[in-house]
Amino acid sequence: MAATDATTSHVIARIAAALLGGYAFTWGLIALGMAGLFALGMPFHDAEHLSSMLALLAYLGVFCWAFAARSLPRVWAVLAGGGVLMAAAASLIQHMLV
Amino acid sequence: MFQNFRLAMAWLHTWFGLVLGFVLMAVFFFGALSVFDREIDRWAIPESRFEPQPMPSFDKVLRPVFESMQPRPESVATLRGEVNGPIPERFDIVRRWGAYTTHRDPVLNMFAGYEVPNAKDPEKTVWGSRTIDPRNGRSLPDDQLKIGSQFFYPLHYSLNFHWLDLGYWIVGLAALIMLVALVTGVIMHRKIFREFFTFRPAKHIQRSTLDLHNLTGVLALPFHFFFAFTGLVIFAGLYFPVAHSQLEPLHELHEKLEAEETGLPEDRAGVPAPLASVDAMVAEAQRRWAAQGMSGDVGFLAVQHVGDANGYVSIYRAGTDRIALTSNGIHFKASTGEVLREDPPPSAVDRVAEFLTGLHLQHFRHWLLRWLYVLGGLTGCVCIATGLIFFVEKRKRQHARQGSQGARVADALAVTTITGMLLAALGMMIANRLLPQAMPAGWPGRGDLEEYVFWASWLLAMAHAFWRSPPVAQGRLSPAWGEQCWAVCALSVAAVLLNWITTGDHLLRTVAEGYWPVAGVDLFLLASAALAATAARRLARVARAVPAMQPGGKPEAAHA
Repeated sequence: MAATDATTSHVIARIAAALLGGYAFTWGLIALGMAGLFALGMPFHDAEHLSSMLALLAYLGVFCWAFAARSLPRVWAVLAGGGVLMAAAASLIQHMLV
Repeated sequence: MFQNFRLAMAWLHTWFGLVLGFVLMAVFFFGALSVFDREIDRWAIPESRFEPQPMPSFDKVLRPVFESMQPRPESVATLRGEVNGPIPERFDIVRRWGAYTTHRDPVLNMFAGYEVPNAKDPEKTVWGSRTIDPRNGRSLPDDQLKIGSQFFYPLHYSLNFHWLDLGYWIVGLAALIMLVALVTGVIMHRKIFREFFTFRPAKHIQRSTLDLHNLTGVLALPFHFFFAFTGLVIFAGLYFPVAHSQLEPLHELHEKLEAEETGLPEDRAGVPAPLASVDAMVAEAQRRWAAQGMSGDVGFLAVQHVGDANGYVSIYRAGTDRIALTSNGIHFKASTGEVLREDPPPSAVDRVAEFLTGLHLQHFRHWLLRWLYVLGGLTGCVCIATGLIFFVEKRKRQHARQGSQGARVADALAVTTITGMLLAALGMMIANRLLPQAMPAGWPGRGDLEEYVFWASWLLAMAHAFWRSPPVAQGRLSPAWGEQCWAVCALSVAAVLLNWITTGDHLLRTVAEGYWPVAGVDLFLLASAALAATAARRLARVARAVPAMQPGGKPEAAHA
């Protein structure tokens, strides 16, 4: 039974990483894209649409990667860590502009 | 966790596909129906069976209707706890009036947004809506549900489950999983080219189901990918509300800059002002479009800050011959009719976004493409349904030997989502033809009852699917499949007959008159009936050929 429990918890951990980690990563990418492209002179809604479209494709990619990657901690580090970093960078850009 | 990449992808495909497949089935099916949402509306509301109309005169027709409107009670009900003091009885400060029409709309949908005095959030708006006959300005009854555009269509993207917007989120996750299933499906099957041409209907169910799953998945792969992806793009702002949360200050900065650049006021001036002739503004907009070689009809018309000196009128050209829903907006000062601004041509990113969303929503005129959408959507349904059936077929003999109920439950849920969903839609259409025109006092509205019948039919189909499922646990076919196919057949024919009896519009008449919205729905129902009958007869043949299995044992001799 121990083996099954380990598998179940592994599966749940992977799903959480793919869904939540992937969401955080996508959010960060959209935020950074919006703030960054706007700072570079792109109209606000253009920046919003472009980064949303690209980030949604990225979500698809990282979602699959979260299941394919060998190391789960690395998945969490890249997705959640990357998401937080990008979101923070977006807020920083906003802080400089507003 | 997995031995290799391919196994990981196969696991992802199987289990996410199974769990979200039930949702995807509904999303694809009601999406396919939504392609003809307005035609289904015509079937459901016989008073609206007349030719599509252009945007009527604002001054003569729309204005008196707008002025008589108030917010819907359900919208006012959302104010509980949002207002300092009592909730107002009347709403007189109008933020926005709007009317949108397309080349397929005989009746016109109008909406109005009202400011809420003493609201805790000053941006809070309550909404009212009205459907009119644009030929005379008469309002249609409020409780008449447009089954196509107000029920099947929102079901397609929100499951009509609005608590916490949860329906939108479930559909969004399903769309992401659809993309994942397409990618992982391609990875699982390396012989993708061969699958274009492989279908062996005469093999046993498991083999031919998988063939059909691969064929429909691969053949329509670009279609499935495009619609799942653009569906996510359309609601990206809801799933990732970055501009309205984290980057709200940046968004406000942009709105201020934009208001300065466009000269269109963001807020009311607080000074009352009359409304000049909007018909004259429409004429001027149409003159300007014609001068650019783009003569066209009005698709969307809106009045902002009604009755205020800062009020303005926005007129957009209908996208009948364009992929974008509307375009070429021209804005007029409401009190004088002077042109404030003409929208510049869309930017490159705008064009891409318009292309993606416009192609998904398809409000433009292209009947062949419209039918290809239905075909694509139904192909998606076949792909998802065969995926679910394959899941069951692959496991049910093994589960029967082990005495497990897993395949049985999955099969009953598959029956519920595939044939049960059809029964729900048909039950609703039949209720629509049988309920009295006006419900007696104390009853729920006609439209509400139709919705209850929809969900009740679905629940009933689910109960039937589970009740008839025990044979699956013996490795056999559930009789629910065949029985529900017969029910689909009977209800489809009944719906066509009821349309004839209650409205007199039988097929000979609608086809002879070339009234395709209603003729098309009737013909589609009859085609469904024929298909369901064929399926039921073939299922009966298969059921006779499959022997039952006992847990741990060998197959028993087949009983008829």
